[in-house]
Amino acid sequence: MIDWIESVLHITVQMGTLYLLASLGEIYAERSGILNLGLEGMMIMGAALSFIFTLAYGHFAAIIISIAAGILMSLVLAVMAIHMRLNQVVAGLAITMLGLGLSGFLAFPDIRKNILLSLNPALPEQALMTQEAPKLPEISIPLLSNIPIIGRAFFHHNVLVYVSYIAALVMWFILFKTRIGLSLRSVGEDPATADSLGVNVFLVRYLATVISGGFAGLAGAYLFIGFHPFWQEGMTAGKGFIALALVILSTWNPLRAVLGAYLFGGIDTVQYRLQLFGLGAQSPYFLAMLPYLITIITLILISFENLRKRIGVPKSLGIPYSREQD
Amino acid sequence: MSRKINTPFGVIRIERRAAYPRHIAVLTTLLAVLLAFLAVAIILVLIGIDFTAAFTLIVESFTKPELMLNSVKQAIPICLSALGLGIAFKMNFWNIGAEGQIYVGMIASTGVVLLHAYYGLFDEHVLLPLMFLTSFALGGLWCLLPAFLKAKMNVNEILTTLMLNYVAILLVDYLIHGPWRDPGGYGFPLSIKFPDYAKLLFLFGDTAYTGLLMAILGAAAAYLIMDHSKLGFEIKVVGQNLNVARYSGIDVSKVIMFGAFIAGGLAGIGGLSIVSGIIGRLRPRASPGYGYTAIIVAALAGLNPWLIVLASIFFGGLLTAGDVLQASMNIPKTVIQMMQAIIFLFILMGEVFKRYRIVFEGKSGGDMP
Repeated sequence: MIDWIESVLHITVQMGTLYLLASLGEIYAERSGILNLGLEGMMIMGAALSFIFTLAYGHFAAIIISIAAGILMSLVLAVMAIHMRLNQVVAGLAITMLGLGLSGFLAFPDIRKNILLSLNPALPEQALMTQEAPKLPEISIPLLSNIPIIGRAFFHHNVLVYVSYIAALVMWFILFKTRIGLSLRSVGEDPATADSLGVNVFLVRYLATVISGGFAGLAGAYLFIGFHPFWQEGMTAGKGFIALALVILSTWNPLRAVLGAYLFGGIDTVQYRLQLFGLGAQSPYFLAMLPYLITIITLILISFENLRKRIGVPKSLGIPYSREQD
Repeated sequence: MSRKINTPFGVIRIERRAAYPRHIAVLTTLLAVLLAFLAVAIILVLIGIDFTAAFTLIVESFTKPELMLNSVKQAIPICLSALGLGIAFKMNFWNIGAEGQIYVGMIASTGVVLLHAYYGLFDEHVLLPLMFLTSFALGGLWCLLPAFLKAKMNVNEILTTLMLNYVAILLVDYLIHGPWRDPGGYGFPLSIKFPDYAKLLFLFGDTAYTGLLMAILGAAAAYLIMDHSKLGFEIKVVGQNLNVARYSGIDVSKVIMFGAFIAGGLAGIGGLSIVSGIIGRLRPRASPGYGYTAIIVAALAGLNPWLIVLASIFFGGLLTAGDVLQASMNIPKTVIQMMQAIIFLFILMGEVFKRYRIVFEGKSGGDMP
């Protein structure tokens, strides 16, 4: 029984890390007033590129390239949302579509083979044909990983999981305890006032969007080399949108996002376990709906004005800022 | 409102346009499509693929009759959903849930067929009209929920409609893996095949013609609603200025809910056109994202119903071309998805040129800010 609990917790953290990484960046973007709906597309690009680059140059290069791709895509979004002042939702959706199409194209066997050969001509034939790549090694933290039940669950993982722990703490600290965080939140709250107080609204929004892109790319890399190193077209399967939902559930707070991430990760894990045991053939579908339904309920709850104020929903989320009066 | 940028070649001024000139809209749209083709061509060349052969195949899917029929078939659900989106977007109701509304439309029409097949309910002749009715109603209700939440409680409709997409897709997964699975289907997750009288064959006995008729009727309905009805007028006012709408006595929340119901209903019929037109039965993931493609189509057509019909046939053709490319040249059909996304991005960026005008003033010298 204890073994079973241990392994469920372990997978819960593994699943949850995916959501956590993606939503940490998104929290920053949304706190600055930018809704990055391109998350799903940036994640899948991260997954596809980490597949290709792990085979060609190894894990480190793969992670760097995935982050870079996320940043590049978020820059496109930033230009469209901040400078061109286009509808962020539609722009983000277009980026997601682009990511889904481009990743499927690049990782398609024949195309991938061409790319791999031009990246690294010395690759063996087997590496050109495979749908798999080596997974990131798991590292046990000495002492901590020996704690009964939770030790293995939290301290026997690959490096990206530990990155997510540290990132959550650091990003919470920056957001709520530093001047930079205050500027970021003020830009999402009331950009005109922030501007008059000398905060560079455009710069802050650019940086926040880029951070969300970088984390989305990292989440994609984690999905592939850290969790499920077997390529399937469209393998993010809406997980980017679940991360988007998680941002709302966490009410734009990095530490609460940790809890929410493991809640959603736990739902995923239980769903797979139930299927494994053949328990209630239909229940997995309803369990899988839970993250979406929980999000809708959260959205309804935060629509109440006094709750909104207490939580601190970014007031200017989704509204472009311009100095001209129009 | 104008901004000046000094360059070594003179002053460039960016001015806000007073009105959207129509020729600019047409020009930017065509340019967006052209640039997207160019971008894809460049990518193909970089990968080392003979792009002229690929583009010949793409053109053929618009010229060969049998491929054209397939294109039209694929265009039907896109077109109907996009017509609905055209109405929703006009009132700034950002419904990105057409995909989910398509799925519940499929549930509704399949449900009616199964009631008929398993329990002998409904006469053969009323079956199809009943399917239209229920899929419209259920699609409409699926869109009404977020509209209600937006109108009454100011809940962001973008996120709710998006989340409901996944709920609808999972609902279909459940039904088709569970109670609706064909008992004689060897355990495959498929419903029974629809009988011919429950299929869209009433024009020339072909789904493509029947669907084309539906698309044109849908466009006519959308045109009449938007340009010749009180509701359409109110929708436009709500979309242009919420305060004006309120002061002039329009019941804003009622308009939003009505408009959303119609929008979702049209997408629901789009779902019907998949199960009783393209596939002839229900299966999981029956829509490869038609509801999302519809968003691009609505944007490409500038929300005009007649242009939506044309644009969706164009996109249906691209989807067909994708299948052909993969089958005959081993180029993944995701290349088409990529092309559509690039078209979308360029159209969006083109909005800027509709809103602003760039004036080149040459070297004037004295006119410094």
